[in-house]
Amino acid sequence: MEFKNFSLFISQTKVNRFATDLAEGRILSTICKKCGKQYYPPRADCPSCMGIEMEWKEIKTEGKLLTFTRIHVPPEHFAVRQPLMPFSSVQFEPCPIGILEVEGGLPVMGWIPKMDIKKIRVGMRMKASPFTLPDGKITIVLEAI
Amino acid sequence: MKKVGIVGIGHGKFGVRSDASIRELAFEAVKGCLEDAAISLSEVDSMVTGVAGDEFSFGIQPSAQVHDYIGFHPKPNYRVEAACATGSAALRTGWMNIVSGLADVVLVVGVEKMTEVPTSIATEIMGRAGDAIWEYPFGTTFPGYYAMIANAHMAEYGTTEEQLAMVSVKNHYYGSLNPYAQMQKEITLERALTSFTVAYPLKLYDCSLITDGAAAVLLASEERAKAISKKPIWIAGLGCGTDSMRLGDRRSLTSLQATREAAKAAYKMAGVGPSDIDIATVHDCFTIAEIVAYEDLGFCERGEGGKLIEAKETYVGGRIPVNVDGGLKSKGHPLGATGISMAIEIAKQLRGEAGPRQVKDPEIGLTHNVGGSGQVSFIHIFRRD
Repeated sequence: MEFKNFSLFISQTKVNRFATDLAEGRILSTICKKCGKQYYPPRADCPSCMGIEMEWKEIKTEGKLLTFTRIHVPPEHFAVRQPLMPFSSVQFEPCPIGILEVEGGLPVMGWIPKMDIKKIRVGMRMKASPFTLPDGKITIVLEAI
Repeated sequence: MKKVGIVGIGHGKFGVRSDASIRELAFEAVKGCLEDAAISLSEVDSMVTGVAGDEFSFGIQPSAQVHDYIGFHPKPNYRVEAACATGSAALRTGWMNIVSGLADVVLVVGVEKMTEVPTSIATEIMGRAGDAIWEYPFGTTFPGYYAMIANAHMAEYGTTEEQLAMVSVKNHYYGSLNPYAQMQKEITLERALTSFTVAYPLKLYDCSLITDGAAAVLLASEERAKAISKKPIWIAGLGCGTDSMRLGDRRSLTSLQATREAAKAAYKMAGVGPSDIDIATVHDCFTIAEIVAYEDLGFCERGEGGKLIEAKETYVGGRIPVNVDGGLKSKGHPLGATGISMAIEIAKQLRGEAGPRQVKDPEIGLTHNVGGSGQVSFIHIFRRD
């Protein structure tokens, strides 16, 4: 699995295994073998002790929502560019995003596709899961539990 | 430590400047600055150019375009970059040039030409200034980052959308009095509250503008400053702080550690505290950012920023007037020029030359300029004699 299927632009990193595991249903962090510090998003190098030996570990996916938004004016890459059908209109309904804090204080960013923005609350319990999009790209979604 | 003063200021018109290229915008500011100081370019030892993005104006080496066009070569000039805080980073570098003894008179130019690309592309370029690997795949934009700060602040402290809109109403009011501002019109609270959502809960009038513009200041060592200017504005304190690339990695989403650290350093160096500041320009890239800045700079307690604007304490005549030049919100936000423009407003206020926006007899002013979503922050404190 190419890392770009997750990251969209960046293709070369020491942690590209993340995308492969994500596609297989696991959200992975890294843990420094020397000092034991855990990182999500995963890092290849440890700034706490300058260690470079890391091991991969699945994260706990349940936690509480730190914050959220819904972006109505997206970057060009995400903009909807489809010709309008005559006599019709296309209503662009953007999907909310949020940051979930899971065990170990790890922050997991994800899309929140199944919730009305007015019902999303800071502090609510949610679960993060890998998700494969119709075009083959892989991402992470957050759902209320 | 050597004293460094601002002895010249030059500010071009901010706006959609489809009449001018980046180098021509820079020329306007430099010309104004040299005229204000009444010296010629031949008396300037060194130059620093602040430009945040190459991608807006199609061409790397923007600093060379600028020094070529104003005819500064062969003397020293290079570019400094710190995202939206580029202008303040350039000013700090100019100060270092003089304190180190490398130069006595330094020209600091900040410029950005952002409207050469469509708004959606500009939004994408700025969105990538977050974490391009781990945040951008979720469609993040600059308004998106600050919207997440706003939702966290509202949840923790009960800050309201009305209080956010009040920042916009204030800054538009003062922008209407600033001839260099991009938007010179007042708005009502209702208009701000009913404008379309850009990133929930931030609406159009919570967001700063995409702007072309340039600003320049001339810095000089104490001896040269006194010879050049009758009213040098002294740089009394400088602070710089940083924080994580990603919002999620921060200990607080309702405060910027970068700003708190920068403030601590700048207040200490200047030997003053928040209550000594008579006038401030803060980084209101979004209305929530101004409210968070009130708190991080110590103008009020944590969580009280919304109430400070509600009580109109940041208007002229209030406890601490903030962004009475219109701020990024109404004056505009040409990334590289913004920090220099902030310093120019403080210099004008301390000189007593701010016209209808003049604060009564200020002695000490502060600028606060944030890069990205708070990855870096610069604070400068200025005093007059």
